[in-house]
Formats: sequence, structure tokens, C-alpha cells
Amino acid sequence: MANLRDIKKRIGSVESTRQITRTMEMVATAKIKKAQEKIEAARPYALSMMEVLGNVARYAKGAEHPLLETHDKRRRVVVITVTSDRGLAGAFNSNILRLTENIIRDESAAGAQVDVIAVGKKAASYFTYRGIEPLASYRDISDKPTFADAKSIAAHVIGAYSAEEIDAVYVAFNRFKNVAEQKPEVHQLLPIERRVVDEAAEGSDVRAEYTFEPNPEAVLELLLPTYVETLVFRALMESVASEHGARRTAMKSATDNASEMITTLTRSYNRARQASITNEIAEIVGGAAAQED
Amino acid sequence: MERTLLCEIVTPERIVYTNEVRMVVAPTIDGEIGIMPLHAPLVSALKAGEVRVMYGDDKVEWFAISGGYVQVHEDKVIVLADQAVTASQIDVERARQALEEARQRMGGSDGGGGDEADACIADLNWCEVQLNVAGKRSS
Repeated sequence: MANLRDIKKRIGSVESTRQITRTMEMVATAKIKKAQEKIEAARPYALSMMEVLGNVARYAKGAEHPLLETHDKRRRVVVITVTSDRGLAGAFNSNILRLTENIIRDESAAGAQVDVIAVGKKAASYFTYRGIEPLASYRDISDKPTFADAKSIAAHVIGAYSAEEIDAVYVAFNRFKNVAEQKPEVHQLLPIERRVVDEAAEGSDVRAEYTFEPNPEAVLELLLPTYVETLVFRALMESVASEHGARRTAMKSATDNASEMITTLTRSYNRARQASITNEIAEIVGGAAAQED
Repeated sequence: MERTLLCEIVTPERIVYTNEVRMVVAPTIDGEIGIMPLHAPLVSALKAGEVRVMYGDDKVEWFAISGGYVQVHEDKVIVLADQAVTASQIDVERARQALEEARQRMGGSDGGGGDEADACIADLNWCEVQLNVAGKRSS
């Protein structure tokens, strides 16, 4: 028979665990909201930039730019892996790391060398542990990614791509679908697909005769790197919102599990207590009966 | 009533400013440009510098921006900047510190490492612009 005191102790410990997971769940819920607001706040800039890009593209049609050019050979590929700094978020990080592993495997099989840029402590330690030294590691930005962070990450690949040192860049991150759902995705960052530029051009107002300073090509040349930076920034922010979403879900099920465990434990505690009481009564009755004889 | 234009100053992180104004002055690569109502459609690259916004009767608002773009279309001016702050919110102490740090990094690197040096120069410029603009409080 399980010891009464042992069961009581376990109930206590599960209860305090539940307290912690419940708090984490509430904290995550609050943080999701903040992260979502940040994504919203970034929208006006992104929209205006696409508008500018469209206008420029209309005038600089067919313009050559290193970032738009697809390289014939894939010798070196860079993957930007966006994870979180903290764990306890379910499959949030492992999904992204698995996606990255898949790219590494596929590209390696095709004969390309793959480098990673690790964003978040989880990615950094994962790759270092496996003997893959990341090209660059970013820690402690997953709480509050700034545009400067995105710029700094993008700077690693933009220059190198233009110089044809690398031939493709991907970013792997969790896209924030809604509070309960995150979707791990891989997006191609470089080369920038022509389609993007062409579509932006189609959306622009053809009636307006724009002037460009200094000229359309020069503006385009400045604009494309900014476009890449905003994509990275967007990935960082989506990842933060997703992280909190994933953590909330994980902590909610942990809390539910703890509650269930407490119910079961309480039941066996009551049963054990009842058993010992019954036992005692039986002994007393037995003892009294023995004295009457 | 006098014709005005809608001015928006936007960074990737937030909308810094939006108002109906009389004139916007922005630092383009080749020099300053003043934009008034009925301006022809324009897209221009901007360098780090100050943006002045004139509104109301004689009010002027100063902003420091770290470079970006301006688009003018149908009496709407959108300034897209990597970073932007109004003069009154510039943290002079911090800018000064950052400037010092950037200078040291500059001194430390021997002019090699292209990207690194570029980032340094950009930081330096940004700090200087902020300090510059901070001196000119909004009227």
C-alpha cells in the first residue's frame, strides 16, 4: 500500500509545478499580444516600401541587380535559422532545427556547402554541439528583435551574395498563423525572385509620372537590400509571436496534465486513508471482541 | 484654407509621425529637398540627416533619420527611414556614448573588413545626426 505521507508529498509537488506552468501560460498569453502588436506596427512600413519598390521597378524595368540574379551553380548556401533563446515551448525549436537539417542534407547531397546563421540560443547550441560552427550567432534578441538586429543579420548575406561568394540564402522560422497555430516555414531570401518585383510594379499607379533622385536604378539598388532586411525583420517578429504561442499551448497542456495528476493522486490518497481507517476499526473491533471472550 | 500635405514618417518598428503639414524638408543624397503641396510625384533616396516639418502658422518639428527613402504622391509624403526620432526625444547622453564607442571601433579596425567598417560609419553618422538635431528643439 502506498504510503499516505508519500502521496501527500507528491500532490504538493505537482501542485507547485502546476502553479509554475499556469503562470508561464499567463505570461505567454500577455506576450503574444505584445508581439502581435509589433507585427502590426511594422505593416505600414512594409506596405509603403512595396509601393516605392513597385514605382521604381516600373521605371527601372529589366534593371540588373546582383541580388536579383540567380547563380548558375550552387556551391555555397546559407540558412538563417530562427529559434528562441528559451525552451519549454513544445516542438517550437525542434521543428525549425529539423527543417534546417533537411535543407543541409538536401543541399549537401546536391554538392553545395551549407552554412548556418543561428538566431536564438537554441540554434546556436544545437549546431555547435553537432560540430557545425555557425557563420554567426545571435543570442538574447528573441525577446525584442529590432530592425538593427535584422540589418545586422542581413548584412552577413547581402554583401557575400553580391560578391557571388554564396549562391542562395534561406530563412527558416515559425510563421505565426494564429494564437494556437505556428507553421514552420522556409523562405528563399536570396536571390530575390523577379516575380516579387514584377508584381509590385503591376500594383503601382501608372498614371503618376514619377521623378527619381538620383535615378531609378540607384534607388532600386538601395531599395533591394532594405527589402531583404524587412523580410528578415518580419521573420524575427513572427518567430517571437510564434514562440509565445507555442509556449502557451505547451504550458496549457502541462497545466491540464498536472490537474489530472492531482485528481488521480488525491483519489489514491483518499483510498489509502480510507483503507487505513478501515484497518484500524477492524483492529479495534477485533481487540474488543477478544476482550469480551 | 491653405492647401496642406499629409506627412508620414515611418520606420520598420512604428509610425513616428503623421500630420497635415505645409512643407517637408528632407536630406537627399545630393542635397536637401523641400516638398510643398502639389509637388510632382517623386521617389528619392535619403541619407542620414535631419527632416524638418513645417506646419500650422509657424511651427517646425525636427527629426533625425538614419537614411531611407521619401515618396511623394498626390499631396502625400511618406518618409521611410531605418531609424527616426523627434528632436525632443533624442537621448543626448546615449548618443554621445554610442558615438564614442563607434569612434573606438573605427580606430580599432584597420579599415579592412568592408561590411564591418560600413556599419561603423553608418553608426557614427547616425550618432552625429542625432546630436546635431538634438540641439534644435522643436518650436
